[in-house]
Amino acid sequence: MIDSMSAPFLGRTAAYADRFERIGVIADPDSVARVREEFASWLGEFFEFGANRASDAVLAIYEALANTAEFAYLSAGRPGTVDVKASHDPVESSLTVTVADRGLWRTAAPTPGDRSRGRGIALMKALADRSSIQTSTGGTLVRLYWARVHPAGTSRH
Amino acid sequence: MNEQRESTDGTPPASGSTCEVNERWSDGVVVIAVSGVVDMITAPQLEEAIKSALAKTPTGLVVDLSDVEFLASAGMGVLVATHDDAPDGIDIHLVAEGPATSRPLKLVGIADIVPLHATLDEALAALSS
Repeated sequence: MIDSMSAPFLGRTAAYADRFERIGVIADPDSVARVREEFASWLGEFFEFGANRASDAVLAIYEALANTAEFAYLSAGRPGTVDVKASHDPVESSLTVTVADRGLWRTAAPTPGDRSRGRGIALMKALADRSSIQTSTGGTLVRLYWARVHPAGTSRH
Repeated sequence: MNEQRESTDGTPPASGSTCEVNERWSDGVVVIAVSGVVDMITAPQLEEAIKSALAKTPTGLVVDLSDVEFLASAGMGVLVATHDDAPDGIDIHLVAEGPATSRPLKLVGIADIVPLHATLDEALAALSS
């Protein structure tokens, strides 16, 4: 199926049964909100994931994107771009999502006593079956993994 | 002043991040009913609505997230800050039930900080007891 959601978008897009890609997404709040919706549609269309875990995946991806939109390009003074790639492994029945930027994340813990911020990373860890965050001078790579993800119509409950 | 529609937000419809916040009063308790998306775009709108309600010195405040379809950490931060900053004697309670709201609130421990109820009736009962 041809991606029908190719709205004004400066990067490449792809959404097939086993793959979802948004390359070069502007790391700003509106763009990452749009990617969240598109990712949610893709999950809903192609996978039977269960309401809880589908919701978990959408929130985890959003938090990775939101961190980029909020912090990664602060020092640059204007938004950079972020790449999102999700792929389904039919052999392993797993879903892996990567969110990669080329900026600097705020990785420090929130200010002591401020309980109101800094939950994005805790959420990602809690929501994914496995997660990792690699930071380097070149940017940050978030990898999120879910097991037992089956294509729609093949559910093995 | 029974019901007051605070606002819908002005973000472009393309992003889909629209949130509606309504305020209503019941025996001195203010209920902030939220619907739609609470993300980094709309969380400040929720924060403003809560601040404005608290300024009218309610005896308690309920944030009803029953109709929220997506809740991100930006919104959770507002809820925790509301709880932490509330004037003495004003209890804050949350209403949420479902994979997009109560589930993440429990997963990251916010339900341990701010009392969480499945229904508005439960929250109001807890406030009046």
